Amino acid sequence: MNMTTPIEQREFRIVGKSVKRDDVLEKVTGEAQYTGDIKLPGMLHGKIKRAAIAHARIKAIDVSKALAYPGVKAVLTHETVPRVLHYGSPHPRSASCTRDQYILDDKVRFWGEGIAAVAAISEEIADEALDLIEVEYEALPAVFEPEDAAQPGAPLIHDVGPGGNLVLDPVRVSRGDIDKGFAEADFVLEGTFSGGRPHPAYMEPNVCIADWDGSNKLTFWTSTQTSFMVRGILAEVLGLPLTKVRVLVDHMGGGFGAKQDLFQHEFLCALLAKETRRPVKMEFTRHETFVAGRSRHPCRIWLKQGFKNDGTLVARDMKLVYDSGAYGSHGPGVTIVGTTAATSLYRCENVRLEGRCVYTNTPINGAFRGYGVVQSYYALDIQMDEAAERLGMDPADLKLKNVVRAGDIAPSGHPIIGHGLEICLQHGVDVLDWKALWNRDRTPDPKRPHIRKGWGIGCEMHGSSAYPGIKEQGNATVKINEDGTVTLLTGAAGLGTGAHTALAQIVAEELGVRFEDVGVIHGDTDVVPWDIGAFASHTTYLVGTAAKMAAGKVRAAVLERAAMKLQVSSDEIDLCDGKVFVTAEPDRSMTVSEAMGPSRGIPAANIVGNGTYEPTKSYSFAAHFTEVDVDTETGIVEVKRVVPVHDVGRVIHPIAAQGQIEGGIQQGIGHTLTEDYLIDKKTGRSLNAGLVDYKMPLSMDMPDIETIILEAAPDPGGPWGAKGVGEDPIIAIGPSIANAIHDAIGIRFHHYPITPEDVLKALREKGA
Amino acid sequence: MRRFDYYRAETLEHASRLLTELGDDTFLFNGGTDLLVEIRERLRRVRNVVDIKQIPGLSDITYDETRGLTFGALVTVGRLENLSLVRQQYPNLRAALASLGSIQVRNRATVVGNICRASPSADTIPPLVADGAFVHIYSRTDMRVVPIAEFFTGPGKTVLAKGEIVTGITVPPAADNIGKAYLKHGRRKAMELSTVGVAVSLAMDEGVCSDVRIALGAVGATVLRAPQAEAMLRGSRLDAATVRKAADKAMEECTPISNVRASADYRRDMVGVLTGRAIRQALETFA
Repeated sequence: MNMTTPIEQREFRIVGKSVKRDDVLEKVTGEAQYTGDIKLPGMLHGKIKRAAIAHARIKAIDVSKALAYPGVKAVLTHETVPRVLHYGSPHPRSASCTRDQYILDDKVRFWGEGIAAVAAISEEIADEALDLIEVEYEALPAVFEPEDAAQPGAPLIHDVGPGGNLVLDPVRVSRGDIDKGFAEADFVLEGTFSGGRPHPAYMEPNVCIADWDGSNKLTFWTSTQTSFMVRGILAEVLGLPLTKVRVLVDHMGGGFGAKQDLFQHEFLCALLAKETRRPVKMEFTRHETFVAGRSRHPCRIWLKQGFKNDGTLVARDMKLVYDSGAYGSHGPGVTIVGTTAATSLYRCENVRLEGRCVYTNTPINGAFRGYGVVQSYYALDIQMDEAAERLGMDPADLKLKNVVRAGDIAPSGHPIIGHGLEICLQHGVDVLDWKALWNRDRTPDPKRPHIRKGWGIGCEMHGSSAYPGIKEQGNATVKINEDGTVTLLTGAAGLGTGAHTALAQIVAEELGVRFEDVGVIHGDTDVVPWDIGAFASHTTYLVGTAAKMAAGKVRAAVLERAAMKLQVSSDEIDLCDGKVFVTAEPDRSMTVSEAMGPSRGIPAANIVGNGTYEPTKSYSFAAHFTEVDVDTETGIVEVKRVVPVHDVGRVIHPIAAQGQIEGGIQQGIGHTLTEDYLIDKKTGRSLNAGLVDYKMPLSMDMPDIETIILEAAPDPGGPWGAKGVGEDPIIAIGPSIANAIHDAIGIRFHHYPITPEDVLKALREKGA
Repeated sequence: MRRFDYYRAETLEHASRLLTELGDDTFLFNGGTDLLVEIRERLRRVRNVVDIKQIPGLSDITYDETRGLTFGALVTVGRLENLSLVRQQYPNLRAALASLGSIQVRNRATVVGNICRASPSADTIPPLVADGAFVHIYSRTDMRVVPIAEFFTGPGKTVLAKGEIVTGITVPPAADNIGKAYLKHGRRKAMELSTVGVAVSLAMDEGVCSDVRIALGAVGATVLRAPQAEAMLRGSRLDAATVRKAADKAMEECTPISNVRASADYRRDMVGVLTGRAIRQALETFA
């Protein structure tokens, strides 16, 4: 429906400018209150006893010693908490989740799963009491790899679901005629690809505080991207009406998608507080963010594509297997999105895709920036480079020939708007003089003969919303005060991305007031309008449009009232920078404050505007051009330079958009080269659940990044054509690095992370 | 964090007595960058910490052309790293200091703490071993001086007896004919425990290597010397072929293990690569 709406062209006062973020001062001074900073009188501290076995029945659990330990106020086990089967990832109106979790169960499904919880007067005492809980297990055979879990006769991890350790029935997507496509092909490429288990490692560990008042109402502070989902599922599982659950979240130290589940500790914290009638805080250690948090789904991909000799793609056959870990969480959504994404990126009329998601006895994998697409596009983009090599073509030429364009059907089923990907790719080719780069002399520097340089290109597209998997809705309420200042009420969480600043810019621009005059109230489910959560790169696109709608209504009402006071018709006046003036006589004016305030017996106005927006989807695009150095003696790959070219439609806040791109590249470099959360394949124990041995790149490791943001293909579904940017950068960087490594040393890697040992081993096998 | 008792020692004698009297699970508290993390992560059981930071006389840095560089137990990594003397005369130690943790860690951590932790992957140990440093040890009955290569007895283990305290380290003086290097292999450029670390100190007289020490980190229970490789270099003009052979020999002399950071085979390979590179870098001093 929004596809036909033309994009308004105008001069902008605030949109497109890097205004100062409203939270910057309190963050740099350390005054910003995060959930972990909150201390309530009488507050207890909760800790979770975690299983030291990957798959078992709990035969007996004895908490008597823990309960008797001085300072311990309550202990909960599967015998004493409500037994309610619930969705770990609670998206309403969504088919893409699986009801497979209990708060506590008598079965352990992964090493590190919570099996009991303690509340005590201090964190230390709670921690010490955990050691006093005695558990007797009946060990069950465990499976740690999706291949093993999918074997007939493999031990079943759940009784629910389609069986065979499948999280959902296989996702099958078909377009055109695959057999006809392969019959027309001049050559066929076939390969298998795999991805590790990167972990988001957000700065702020998961944390929550529960407090029940005398009316049996629960107030719940938690670091979440989806406060209304937390409210809904807590209410459902605890048997409360929504009026009796209030969820609060102010500042957050990141989430990257992984903080949109309902976590075990959140239920347990609420229940411990209920039992003790005292506030209870639970905060993860860094170790717990790994074992009890959410990571990216490891995957195995088989990809076979048919090409014509002129580079035309005629057939794509692809099978993907995602490892869900011990519970479904976002496995269904990730499988659907990651699989259907492979219908697109590079045009192909004959496509057959099959995505599976399999339970294993490993920590839970969930939503994470790039949501299944990181995996599938890694395979697509590397095989595209292989096709170029086979054809003797410059990969830029082959990609330019095949990238999706306006009118092609996107994974969502909609025609793509604009030539975003083509323009990004062409722009990068032009500014880098790619032809010269690609045809350069590849002789190594005689002073450093062991260093080989390479350049690679990675392409991506990603939707700004979870449509059609979830029918989304964005809401905003805008109020104008009698002094002309404006308050925006939004449920959108602020993960640290600057989303609230962007929303305030949109409101100020649309309404006609100064940016500084807009305040944002967020993060209180009793106050702000319902919100679906901050995910799917959609906050600016979705909530931004709702905020623009709400601000537009307020603007109209302000103009009505000013017109009355100025004794003109409302279509004769305009509103800009907090001033209302007669368009034909700009000197005849009044401030918004004068328009809103009381005068001559007229009380001050009370103007409230609501906006509700139900979008479909827009796609953002990017091409990353990456230079690497490969040390052929150590196998170390160093990313030297990245030129990311992004189309994000209308840019609301350039520095914030650039920050998203740089951050995504940093995470993506880690995923491709150094980050992998390792699980022991014999015991299921975590091998590097901490930041000592889980190697994220740091500032010193960052290459030069020369970000280019184009407004190449604005989408009418977003405010003035704005689209998402949050997830895009992490998708394109991976294949650009893998392709650059090939350019440097002539070796194709089909997996990530590509470790120095992998590189050295491959070089030796090649006989270099 | 688990609870522990805190004691502040006024003198070395006081600290030593506390270490003896408070019994097991009592640890000296210096920079605390390892100890506090280990307490918090429950990696080390600690009942008491004895803070030595107020003890006078342990913060000195002195240089003497015959004795060399001496620094006390309280000297931080960052302070030493930023001394021009260290930059000029001890480039191998300086490289190790600059690669330890982060700036924030280096401003608290001490070199003596890094030594006493006795981690096989400790950054500062290989250059001190290559330079033939000495460790000064206090006990209530006497002082003793131990060559640093003999200070370590295993991972996390040293020759220190109960109540003994390291008061400082002396590194022999530099000379114009001595070239040095330290190379660290890690996956990133800061906040990184070395996968392999190689330090070299070599003396050249009239184009011939008159003395050399090679120290290998993170490839054995303690930092190792590579005596056979050193013997191949001694008396040689350090031509490319000899350097390559010595590097290969160093690979045979190390005893790495496999862990989550790297496999034993890869570590061994890196000993070869880094030893060759470190020797060449040390020779660049004279170029």
